[in-house]
Amino acid sequence: MENRLSSILLAAALLSGCSWFHRGDKTPAPAPVTVEEPQADPSIIEPQVSRRVVTTPKVKAKDFEAGVYFGALSIQDFGTNPVYGVRAAYHVTEDFFLAAFGARSQAGLSSLEDVFPNITVVSNSGRYFTYYDLAVGYNVLPGEVFLGRGRAFNSALYVTAGIGAVKFANQDQFALNYGVGYRITLTDWLAMHVDVRDHVFESDLFGVNKNVNNIEAILSLTTYF
Amino acid sequence: MRSLLALVFLLQAVSVIPAQAASRPLMQLVVTAPYLEMHSGPGRGYPVVYVVGRDETLTVLFSRTDWYKVRASHGQEGWARRADLMSTELPSGEPAPIPPYPDFLTHRWEVGAGYGVYNHENLVTAYVDYGITDSIDVEAVLQQAFGTLDNRYIATIGLRHTFVPEWKWFSPTAGIGTGYQRITNNQPPAPLESSNQMAYASLGARGFITRRFMWRADWRHYVVFNNQNVNEELEEWKIGLAVFF
Repeated sequence: MENRLSSILLAAALLSGCSWFHRGDKTPAPAPVTVEEPQADPSIIEPQVSRRVVTTPKVKAKDFEAGVYFGALSIQDFGTNPVYGVRAAYHVTEDFFLAAFGARSQAGLSSLEDVFPNITVVSNSGRYFTYYDLAVGYNVLPGEVFLGRGRAFNSALYVTAGIGAVKFANQDQFALNYGVGYRITLTDWLAMHVDVRDHVFESDLFGVNKNVNNIEAILSLTTYF
Repeated sequence: MRSLLALVFLLQAVSVIPAQAASRPLMQLVVTAPYLEMHSGPGRGYPVVYVVGRDETLTVLFSRTDWYKVRASHGQEGWARRADLMSTELPSGEPAPIPPYPDFLTHRWEVGAGYGVYNHENLVTAYVDYGITDSIDVEAVLQQAFGTLDNRYIATIGLRHTFVPEWKWFSPTAGIGTGYQRITNNQPPAPLESSNQMAYASLGARGFITRRFMWRADWRHYVVFNNQNVNEELEEWKIGLAVFF
């Protein structure tokens, strides 16, 4: 009996010993100690800061103005006809601006051709009246207009004068131009103009050299950019 | 009546559109002077409609000539002078990056137009000029000469030297360049050649007028290369008004 008990205990001790050895196989051997060379420039703290890029927004300059217009052009001796054009301006100071105009109209019959239908003063292809103007403008009377109680628009009465060219009767002519206009700035970027402008050039269409005046009244819509 | 209605609709449409354009970041400035005046329009005569006090911020919407459209922190809008804005600061404390008025002596770009006489004919001229240095410019010119018999379009490009760029009111210039002319006839017979290459030498002067305006005067001698035995030689003078940037 005593023998049996001691053999069980021995078996138990053996088993536990085996299991202990078996466990010992699983644990990795301690890593060999190696001495590492110190790095050249050890950084203790890696900065994780993303740099803030400060960009100051640019202010947009809205000094340019461009738009379209239509109106009535009185071509001397050839009646009054619709005119369609484009215009542009650069505002240099609060007083002065540079302006450019370009437009086309088609002349009707002259009085001579009306009375004598057999006479042709200008051929059909030459009836186009095309012009371009380069001008300097001056805001004579800047001001404000009021629409009811709550709305006010900036406005200006201005004069323009310049030089340019007129192509009429298939001939290019040097022309002087001058005019007066009224501008209402509807919004920060939209304006409406009413202009009366004259184009003066020398013409010999009726046999005598004379200065002809070609006055137009136009309504324009322009945008600032 | 219908056009009036259309105008009303247009105005309403117009008042909506700027809201979409507002996505662009706008410059914010802090007033450092005792106050900053906001005028109702971009001109010296427009009345002051609002005053922004010291340390208040304002938003710069855009500029027109010497005036800046600004919005105060409470939403009031008005026009402030360039000089007044230049004394403000960014929220970071740096001076406001409002560009100074263009200086004549160091300007780079010029755009101008003028009147002249080309080969005894009236001339309309327009030009763009870029200063490589203070004294050497590249200029590109487009012009039209109006003759009784023919009509000429002339395009030239050339270099110009300003002898004493420091002389503000009057400084002589000289230049050379090349160009091209196209001839259309007003009356028959047609010209012998409808286009020619040209070369020119020029003498001239320039000067400051006021603000951003300057004048230029130029005399040019052209040699027109043609198919005939002798090259045509032409003279031109012109005077113009320009704006510098």
